Amino acid sequence: MRKALFFLLAAVFLCLIPACFYSDVELFEVIPVPGDPPVFSVTTNLDSLHHPQVNDSLELIYNVEIAGGELYFVYAEVAGTPFFESDSTSGFFWIYPEMADSSGVDTLYLDFYYSSNSNSLADRVGYEALMDHLKIAVDFNWGGQK
Amino acid sequence: MKKYILILGLLLLLPVQNSLGQDIGFKLYLGAASVRMDDMKYLQEHILSTYPVEGKITSSFPPFTSVSLIVFKQLYEQIRIGGGYSYSTTGGKSSYLDYSGSLFTEMSATSHRLGAYLSYSLWGGEHLDLSLYGKAEACMSDLSIHSSYSIQNYSNSVYNKYRAISPAGTVGGEISYRFKKFALGLSASYLVDLTGNLKEKDGGNSLLDPNDTERTLSSDWTGWQIQLSAQIPLKF
Repeated sequence: MRKALFFLLAAVFLCLIPACFYSDVELFEVIPVPGDPPVFSVTTNLDSLHHPQVNDSLELIYNVEIAGGELYFVYAEVAGTPFFESDSTSGFFWIYPEMADSSGVDTLYLDFYYSSNSNSLADRVGYEALMDHLKIAVDFNWGGQK
Repeated sequence: MKKYILILGLLLLLPVQNSLGQDIGFKLYLGAASVRMDDMKYLQEHILSTYPVEGKITSSFPPFTSVSLIVFKQLYEQIRIGGGYSYSTTGGKSSYLDYSGSLFTEMSATSHRLGAYLSYSLWGGEHLDLSLYGKAEACMSDLSIHSSYSIQNYSNSVYNKYRAISPAGTVGGEISYRFKKFALGLSASYLVDLTGNLKEKDGGNSLLDPNDTERTLSSDWTGWQIQLSAQIPLKF
């Protein structure tokens, strides 16, 4: 009988030990209410050209208009190789023939990352973004350079 | 500060010396304490205000566990003296969680108190006993602040630990029922903490008021305690 009582008290004691250390596991969970997504548009100096040619070099000037949001980054790449990045809504860079894998038409990708306005934690700290692509077919003319 | 702890240690030991074979015993108290912690609540509000999203305080220093162990000696028929150790804990938590990540801050506070004990029996019958008691204590407060975030694939976690030492005192009343070999009771008491400035455990930097860097924040264990007690005399 005494043994049983001892084990019972010991079990109660062990069960109560965690109560001696303050701990709270409750988390305040939120379902964010998203706002309207930003209105995004981009224009470049090559918009009116069909397969602009890159002989020695070609300048690309871009201008982003974004209403109700913020542009985080713009990346440019050709043939899977990024060569330009910026967080500015307007800017320029130069394209050279050797950026392409071979002579001829290849695609220049411009990726624009901007705020999602989802009102989530990641959105508020700039870690969540919407993305828009701009593809421009460019004629890379090696002309025996490479 | 070491001298202060040493004096209190001696106060704790004095009543017990030469007491073997006399009327000595120990009392164990277990209950909950509701403490003030104004500065900690203020700091918690400030931390929440730095969240980039609308977080929430889910726990703000609620009444939590309080335990005491007293070793006493029956000095006279109505008077007991002794010393003991008390432990209290509480804390606060603020958090935010959504599909993209989470933020949380947990503040855990513990108080270790060592001190002298004096009890006066107001009325004692065959079984029932009503007494008043007081304690003079040295209070060591530990505060840990654990802040953490997890956003997309990024996460980080920081622990900051602080400590304060302050004088404290407790006054209370107790009603107990005496059985053949032990007694059970109910105690209500009020703890007054004279508060100590919190300093970083590593480095010793003070925990400053974020809105007034001239002021150091302190822990404050002032508040009520309700406890059940078990008294076991080593020799009646």
